Amino acid sequence: MQTWDDRQPIYQQLADMLAAQLLDGDPLEGAAMPSVRALAGRYLLNPLTVNRALKALGDEGLLENRRGLGLFVMAGARERLRAAERNRFLHSEWPRLRERLRRLGISAQQLNWEER
Amino acid sequence: MNAAEPNVLVKASHLSVRYGAKAAVDDVSFTIPKGRIVGLLGHNGAGKTTLMKAMVGLTQGEGELSVLGFQPRPQRAQLLEQACYIPDVAILPRWARVEDLISLMSGIHPRFSAERARSLLRRTSVGLRDKVKTLSKGMVVQAHLALVAAIDAKLMILDEPTLGLDVLSRKAFYEMLIDEWCDGERSVLISTHQVEEIESLLSDVLMLNEGKLVLSISLEDMEKRFVGVSHDAAVAEQIAAAHPLLRYRTGAGPSGNAAIFDGAPPEHVQALGQRIRPSLVDLFVALTRKPELDRTHF
Repeated sequence: MQTWDDRQPIYQQLADMLAAQLLDGDPLEGAAMPSVRALAGRYLLNPLTVNRALKALGDEGLLENRRGLGLFVMAGARERLRAAERNRFLHSEWPRLRERLRRLGISAQQLNWEER
Repeated sequence: MNAAEPNVLVKASHLSVRYGAKAAVDDVSFTIPKGRIVGLLGHNGAGKTTLMKAMVGLTQGEGELSVLGFQPRPQRAQLLEQACYIPDVAILPRWARVEDLISLMSGIHPRFSAERARSLLRRTSVGLRDKVKTLSKGMVVQAHLALVAAIDAKLMILDEPTLGLDVLSRKAFYEMLIDEWCDGERSVLISTHQVEEIESLLSDVLMLNEGKLVLSISLEDMEKRFVGVSHDAAVAEQIAAAHPLLRYRTGAGPSGNAAIFDGAPPEHVQALGQRIRPSLVDLFVALTRKPELDRTHF
């Protein structure tokens, strides 16, 4: 079964998980999100928690509510997510990674940028 | 329904149930509003089953109890048209075929939909022609839930519904319950020992300890009221001095320590570690320990 960590509210963890799926194109832009009940059933969550997660994604401009039809993935949602991820990498992951590379004495020339 | 409080499905006020001199349920008061999934937690003998029985009129209590606006004992027949109940000792007749049970239910329950039961059963691996005795334990419970969830009721009371089921059957059970029955208006009361597993499902929790209600709170309020702090072993004494409700280990190593406080501890105590979400199971342990085992009082 799905496990949730104790560092963050569960709705936030669900929102992060759904955002990661959107980034992978699941569901695609313009497509309908699964219903609250379907998500609640799939992740064994209280529907109120699912509602909060979906609202958070709506507030980030990733989902839109089409009256009577439910929630849909907004056009441009993936690009927006990618931009946010890029930003997060550059500002929080990269400084740590750079620090580690320095400690290990690895220069940019030593890094293999091509897949082999 | 209660005209004054249309959103309240269940209201208990100073309810006690006695077996001889012993109070199995001891002066409890709570309400269950519409659209909630409420967990009833307690050790064996804490009074969970007795409370549920009182709610469906199977046992007589003192004090006030209103379920869907009915007094459960004298108005049991009317109540059971709108409430479903799966007792902890629930059994389906072994010789019957599933389709026979559907016909039986259609005959006795005015709000049962045979069509709905068949559609719910299609979610499961249970066939209409299957006899109960050929089904696995998990399939029997699924069939039972499908039959009960096909009743258009406002309240479902489930006493240890997943006891003895493997993890996949438990997941399938809760999935059907949430996806097919909960609609934001209906409420469910579930008692279980598998606290970790249903925590994320619940909107509210009722905690019984030796017949007394030690906690009645929404999960949202619980996360605000109870503060968990994970900390290093080095600051354990300072944490203990701030009188937490419970201290426990979250993992191996010196950093795997945590404490739960009722209400936010002072800033300087919170600063000793990192704030975490206290889990329901830890809170359950903290609030239902037997006093003789409680070392924090020494």
